[in-house]
Amino acid sequence: MKFLSDRPYSTSRNFFVTGVFWGVVGALYGVVASIELFAPDLYANVEWLTFGRMRPIHVNVVAFGFVHSLLLGGAAFIVPRLCGLQQLWSERLGNLSVWLWNAVFVSAAITLHSGMTQGRELAELAYFIDWLFMISIGLFTINVFMTLSKRKQKLLYVSLWYIAGGLLWTLSVYFLGNIMFRPAEGALTGISDPIWLWFYGHNVVGLIITPVAVGLIYWVIPRAVRAPVWSHTMSLIGFWVLLVMYTHIGTHHLLQAPVPRWLKIISVVDSIAMFIPVLTVLLNVWLPMRGRWGKLHDNPGAKLVFAGSIFYLLTCIQGPLHSLPSVQRLTHFTHWVVGHSHIAILGFAGFVGIGALYTILPQVLKRPLYSRRLADLTYWLLMFSILVMFIDLSIAGLIQGSAWLGGEAFYRVVPQLTIFMILRAASGIGILCALLVSAYNVFRTLFSGGEAPPVQPADAEVAR
Amino acid sequence: MKLEMTPRVAGVGSLIVFSVIVLAVVIVPTLEDRLEPSDTWRPRTEIENKGLEIYIANGCQYCHSMYIRPQDWDYGADRVAQAGDYVEDTPPLLGSERQGPDLSQEGGLRADDWHLAHFANPRYTRPDSIMPAFGWLGGERTAQLTAYIQSRGGTDADARMERQHHWKALLIDAYRRGPIENMEFLHDNIPIEWVRLPNPYPATETALKRGERIYFQFCIGCHGPVGDGLGPAAPYMNPKPFNFTYFNRWKAKTGGPIGGILYYQVMNGITGSTMPPFKTELESEKIWDVSNYIAVYFAGGPDKLDTKRGIPSSFEPKQPYEDEQRQEEQEPEEPD
Repeated sequence: MKFLSDRPYSTSRNFFVTGVFWGVVGALYGVVASIELFAPDLYANVEWLTFGRMRPIHVNVVAFGFVHSLLLGGAAFIVPRLCGLQQLWSERLGNLSVWLWNAVFVSAAITLHSGMTQGRELAELAYFIDWLFMISIGLFTINVFMTLSKRKQKLLYVSLWYIAGGLLWTLSVYFLGNIMFRPAEGALTGISDPIWLWFYGHNVVGLIITPVAVGLIYWVIPRAVRAPVWSHTMSLIGFWVLLVMYTHIGTHHLLQAPVPRWLKIISVVDSIAMFIPVLTVLLNVWLPMRGRWGKLHDNPGAKLVFAGSIFYLLTCIQGPLHSLPSVQRLTHFTHWVVGHSHIAILGFAGFVGIGALYTILPQVLKRPLYSRRLADLTYWLLMFSILVMFIDLSIAGLIQGSAWLGGEAFYRVVPQLTIFMILRAASGIGILCALLVSAYNVFRTLFSGGEAPPVQPADAEVAR
Repeated sequence: MKLEMTPRVAGVGSLIVFSVIVLAVVIVPTLEDRLEPSDTWRPRTEIENKGLEIYIANGCQYCHSMYIRPQDWDYGADRVAQAGDYVEDTPPLLGSERQGPDLSQEGGLRADDWHLAHFANPRYTRPDSIMPAFGWLGGERTAQLTAYIQSRGGTDADARMERQHHWKALLIDAYRRGPIENMEFLHDNIPIEWVRLPNPYPATETALKRGERIYFQFCIGCHGPVGDGLGPAAPYMNPKPFNFTYFNRWKAKTGGPIGGILYYQVMNGITGSTMPPFKTELESEKIWDVSNYIAVYFAGGPDKLDTKRGIPSSFEPKQPYEDEQRQEEQEPEEPD
């Protein structure tokens, strides 16, 4: 086996394997860290297991190593397919991206464990790791655009807009958000730094992860139900309004901090406007499903992607509402927000990523998934666990928020949360198990022979 | 709508839109920021900067926010954060979640040795805390981290620290002179009305149960399970936590009540010692309950209630504890 394989779709396959691996690792970090929240002395005085060191590893590994790897794996497959090609412009270059991408998380885990961090939430990684990230995504972006330039389909299907645009936004958002133009500090001085930080933090979800995930939703669901998307106009509105609104609203994380008021107002107004792109995209995909729901049922991949799209709606109903100052008075600083970010990253993007994995990996390998039952088990285990976690953290957040707002002292609320933290860790263990089942399924699919997958409709049918 | 989406439109076009928005909502506010220090701001010292590095390396900011909001209670210092508080911070560590309390005004609210015990293991001073233990930091780094925490609040924190240091010297001196002298010094610093005030609430069974819960949640780490001041935090502290059994000597000497003394000290803390104020965490009845608990279990019995001075309440005429005692005393007198 060559170090940089040039087999068709090997980039896609390797991104998927990467995502499955880091998914297990990331969930494990989440579980281990969450246990500290009710049993703080379980590993007392073990320096590298300190909560504050594990949390950024969990966040970075899950958001990028797990979720984004799966999404990029999907992109590496559907980009050539939608261009009428048999592989990326250069699979070898694609595999170089995969290796650099893995290097990001190995070095992230090592540096963060040893306390080497820039201290900005979601943008902790050391300067050299930032460049590993940039080069990996940069090479992949070049690869995608070169593939697009060789395309045999003249029209670009909407998935391709999102992936092409999303990769460029990823590079821009990551460079700006990590303050890479100030290598020594990796941060700005004064209260404007949090504005950049939350521009970044919000757009990790909004302009890095969401576009690729939406691109995959647009590809998987219409194929699964064998009906084209509802309207080209709605596709256009969804794409452009998503870009315009998401870019505006990072400051809604700072509504109660001393940043300029006009910026807060813009962020609140445009957060509400997020309903437009989200509903446009979802209706565009959901409306053609009328009368065809049954087709989802016997397709484990599409089922996951569809569930992801429902979580997308849930997240994007919650998100704009949190940004209202009257709501945020209660929810800010509480576990409620943590519940929200878990349904955004795992519920939405994670479900879409795993769904894309189950849909696409069999086509890459030209053999069916090892076990549909295990795929269904993953689905239900994930669904159950994420819902328990979401409800649990939401309740905990309401308890915290209303106690604080009512004048209760911080310390007195802590013991009230113990049971919720235990449930949270339990649901984390559920997620970890689901990802382990999924990893086993993928492992067996990779290393077992089998017959060719069932015939799929041509992509041209979808891309009209 | 007719817009043909080519790679150029999706790529270059969207980047143009992106750049314009970034200019408006990210770059303009940055240029707007004049970095003018607030009235309490001061630059950090070298040791505080070292402490800040430890703070960042261990991700303290993931659980502790660094700004007080207008709607916040509890954070004693009463100062809502201003942009000018962060002019030196690269980056400011505002934080996004409170799994621990806000620290932006923490400086000087507690004495240094309280922090030493708390870093060694937070459960030593705060039994319900979920903060990780930082005993592994060792003496030097714990001192640096403490210095950083004690600088939070700028010149306000400095003023508070000055008071802490001033009183600590006096308290250590009084502690060395012996229990009675120590109590005389401590109680001289309490308004006389409070010293004379007996606990206005009777030490009923339920009140003592409530007091026990408060004691175990707030007091036990320093004052210990039997009230002798030998809790797990005690070795880190100077002067040592108070031994409640000394109140027996106080009572023998003065014959006076201790309820008001305990209330005043629980509410306000004892500046310079490791006794923090609990006024934000414990309401009136809870403090009276815990002071009854201490009086009954560690200091020989509750205050004698002078009903005329008490707070009117429905259960006031009945004084169960004393009644029971009287009954017990009377029992031997009925031999037949």
